[in-house]
Formats: sequence, structure tokens, C-alpha cells
Amino acid sequence: MKQQFNGAWLFLLPALGILVFVGVIPLLAVFNYSFFDIFTLQNAYWIGPEWYEKIITSERFYASLGRSLLFSLIVLVVQMPLGVGLALVLAKSPNLQIPGLMLLAIPLVVPWNMIPTMWLSLINAETGLLGEVFVWAGLDFDYKFNAVHTWLVLILMDTWHWTGLVAVLAFAGLSAIPNAYYQAAAIDGASRWQVFRYIQLPKLADVLFMALLLRFMDSFMIYTEAFRINAGGPDNATTFLSLDLGEEINGFSYGSAAARSVVYFLMVLTIASVFKTIMSSRQSQDREMAI
Amino acid sequence: MSGGVMRQPDGLGSTLFRLLVILALAVFILLPLAQTIMLSFISTIPRHDIVKGSFSLINYENIFSTPALTASIVNSGLYVLMNVSLTLVVALPGAYALSRYRFVGDRHVLFLLLAFRITPPVVLSLPVFILFAKFNLVNSPVGIALVHCLFNIPIAVWILESFISAVPREFDETAFLDGYNLPRFFVTKLVPIIAPGIGVAAFFCFVFSWVEVVFARILTVTGGKPITMAINALFGFRTDIGLVMAMTVFSLIPGVAMIYFVRNHLAKGFVIRT
Repeated sequence: MKQQFNGAWLFLLPALGILVFVGVIPLLAVFNYSFFDIFTLQNAYWIGPEWYEKIITSERFYASLGRSLLFSLIVLVVQMPLGVGLALVLAKSPNLQIPGLMLLAIPLVVPWNMIPTMWLSLINAETGLLGEVFVWAGLDFDYKFNAVHTWLVLILMDTWHWTGLVAVLAFAGLSAIPNAYYQAAAIDGASRWQVFRYIQLPKLADVLFMALLLRFMDSFMIYTEAFRINAGGPDNATTFLSLDLGEEINGFSYGSAAARSVVYFLMVLTIASVFKTIMSSRQSQDREMAI
Repeated sequence: MSGGVMRQPDGLGSTLFRLLVILALAVFILLPLAQTIMLSFISTIPRHDIVKGSFSLINYENIFSTPALTASIVNSGLYVLMNVSLTLVVALPGAYALSRYRFVGDRHVLFLLLAFRITPPVVLSLPVFILFAKFNLVNSPVGIALVHCLFNIPIAVWILESFISAVPREFDETAFLDGYNLPRFFVTKLVPIIAPGIGVAAFFCFVFSWVEVVFARILTVTGGKPITMAINALFGFRTDIGLVMAMTVFSLIPGVAMIYFVRNHLAKGFVIRT
């Protein structure tokens, strides 16, 4: 059992100090701005919750919210099983584990503004390796004006970018399962599916839940990559929540952008607290089972 | 932690299947990179002495003859180095406290860390810019290094905490009985024993700081631009995509080198606590 020691706060002070400066203070500032009509920072007028009313009554907000949710949903449905599958394959291939993990980590180190450029050159009809294949196969691939194609590029690109994170986390979870579990399962004559369902999946649950949260939030608020591919087009088909916000900031409507930031941050808080509640109830269940 | 490798006899079929999966993965991941490297060695705009579309080292030569590009490499290196050191120095004691003690509000701290990790930078970019402008932190690597702590401190605390928790408590108690004070215990005892964890934490902090562009853009208006922003500036009426790709290849080198250094520890240390 851990020792109760309130002086432990002192250990956290440096980290929390920085987080207050770069996180809490900007959040308070943005909360404050959200009640003003801001022309310049010296020239702002109190307007109360008007921006909030405008946002939550606008159809555009709900349309973007819907698109962001759909994008996250597709991303999760594709990347979570794929990541777990890859981790399982790597766990059974001892000689290829390290090269496989290195491979999976490579997309993570590519600057986010370069990933769209790389994919756009890949599907470029004249110089792109994939683009040439499309032309050769007679496919009319048009990510600029065909919304389905834009979505396909975004999902493929995001899968390339982030499946590695899911796989690395899942692999870490698998590595933590003691061999004794597998031996016991082998003695009981468990099938491969039963091993996965009753040993691996429960042991992976925590780490996968974390991967789910990270993947959900990062795809839900996708900005740089999506903007670069088609700037929200064609016809707003890929205008996600954060693209709306980026547009307002770039258009200098700071009051409205601030209110939008607050709304988005409240979404973040809601999701984080749901995550926390589920995790704590899972962990207290585990403790009861251990007793 | 013993490896999760199942000791079961396997048929040739399933071995072949696994090989094919890994091969397909390699093709998928390497394809955009191959495209990038290929274009970086091609002269992609008309020049009087090189035929457009032919093999050439001109893009790499151009990087070194363009001061804005070479300076950006230095800027990126500087801010990332500052960010990783600062993050590790403040996250280590924090992770230690969360691993070893219970205290009033410990769950709130974990919640705060989680919330900041998943807060999208675009939500904070405007107030961060205004705040940092007041403290003269715009256009300098220090500003970017500081603001990236927002998501890197939570990541570092998470990874370090799980590595510290894997060290038995008796290890600390023995050291304290031997007369080590806390700072000396940290530096001479704890850091060496969790060195792989520090490597993994440094790797992920490096990665997430290196690739981030929303804060990096808003905080570098006129100067101090990192590689990512120097590449952005290359786009224009007639973009030299070969030069863009050569610069991208450059931006990948440190990350790939880091992957190589932490390869044996990449997938360790992600035990979840809430």
C-alpha cells in the first residue's frame, strides 16, 4: 500500500507550475475573451454569452461536429483492430519484433505538415507512385473535387500515421502478460480464439482503452493534416471542428474563436471525465476480484 | 516483465501468413517515404543546366546554400532539446511522487494531466500567443520549448511513473537507510535504474515536440522558425517540391535515429493509472 504523504505536492510543483503557465492561464484568458466582441485587444466590448448562442444555434457547428464524429468513428473502427492485429502478429514473430516496431514508429516522427505533402505527391497523377498506378488502372481519382475520394485520402493517411501508436501500445500490453497464463491455457487445451478472448483481451483492456482515448481525441480534433489535403473541401465535406476554429482565428474574429475554444475544451473535459470514470470503476473491480 | 511470446508449435501456414502481414505493413509504411526520398533526388523545377525530372543532388545543395533553411535546422534542434530536458527534469520528481505516495488531490493531478494531453493545440493557440507576446517569448525557441510542455509533461509523467512503479519500494528505502538524501538518490540511484524509461520518455517527448506545427507556427511570426515552418515557407506560386522533399528527408533523420536508439524499449512502460 502506498504511503500517505501530502508533502508529495512539492515534487509536482515544477511540472504543475509550467502547466499553469502554458495551460491554465491561457484557458482562463480564452474564457474571458469569449464574452467580448474583440476588434483589437485594446478595443473590446462586453457582449455576454452572445457568441455561445450563435455557435450552439448554428447549423454549421452541428454539421462539423457530425463530420468530426464520423471521421473519428471510421478511424477507430479501422485503426484499433488493425493495431491489435499487428501487435498479435509481432508478438508471435520473435525475430521480426524489433524491426516491426521500428517500422511502426517511423510515421510518428514525420512532421504533421509534411504528411499531407507526402501523400499528395504519392497520389499525384504525373509523378506519384500511386497516382501512376491509378492512371494505368484507368481510375479517375480526384481528391480535390470528389468528397468520397478526399475522405479516402484522409483516412488512409491517418491510418498510416497513427496505427503504429495503437500497435506499440497493444504490443506493450501483450509483453506484460506472464508466460504462465499461456502455459495454463495450453494445459486446458484452449483454442487460439479463447486465448485471445479470455487472456489477452482482458489484459490489454486498460492499455487499449488509453489508445482508444488518444486516437479518438486526436482524430476528433484533426487540424493540420486535414487542412493541408483539401482545406475543408470539396464544398465543406471535410470541414471538421478544428478547421472551423482555425478559420475564425485566421479571420481575426477572436471573440467568436475564443467561445468556440471554450466549447471544444468542455468537450475535451467531458470525454476525459468519462474515460476517468470508466477506468476507476474497472480498477476497483479488479481490486475486488483480487480479494 | 517476461515476453508475451507463446510457445506453441506453429504450422508453416501461419508463419507464412505472419511474414506476409509484416511485408504488407512494410510496403504500406515505406511507400510514402520512398516517394519522398525519390522526389528529393529529382530536379523538379525547370533550371537552365538540369533537365526537369532528372536525377540530381541540387535540392540538397540548395538546402545548404539557403541560410533560412540551415538556420531552421538549428532552431528545431534547439527548441526540441530544451523541451525534452525541461520536460524530463520536471516530470521525474512528479512521476516519483505519483508512483510512491498517496496525497490529497492526487487523482485530480492525474485528471489534469490527461485533460492537457488531449487538449488540441488549436484551442489554446490564440491566448498562448497573446500571453507569450507579453513575456517576449515569441520568435524564440524558448517559447516553443515551453508551450510543448503542455502535452509532453503528461506523456513523460505517464511513462516515467510506470517505470518507477516497476522498481520495488525497498530499493528506495535501502538507499535512504544508506544515508542518501533525496536529490542524490534521484541522480545516482533512480535515474540509472530507470534509464530505459528515461530513454522512452525522451523519445516520445522528442517526437511530439518535433512534429507539432500549430504552436510552432503561431509562435514564430518573423524569426526563430523551425524546420516545419521553413518548409511551409517554401510553398508558393511555383513550389520547388524537390527542395520541400529534401528538407522533409532532413527532418526525418533525427527521429529515425532516435527510433534506432530506443528500439529495444519502444513498447515498454505504458501502465495505465487514473
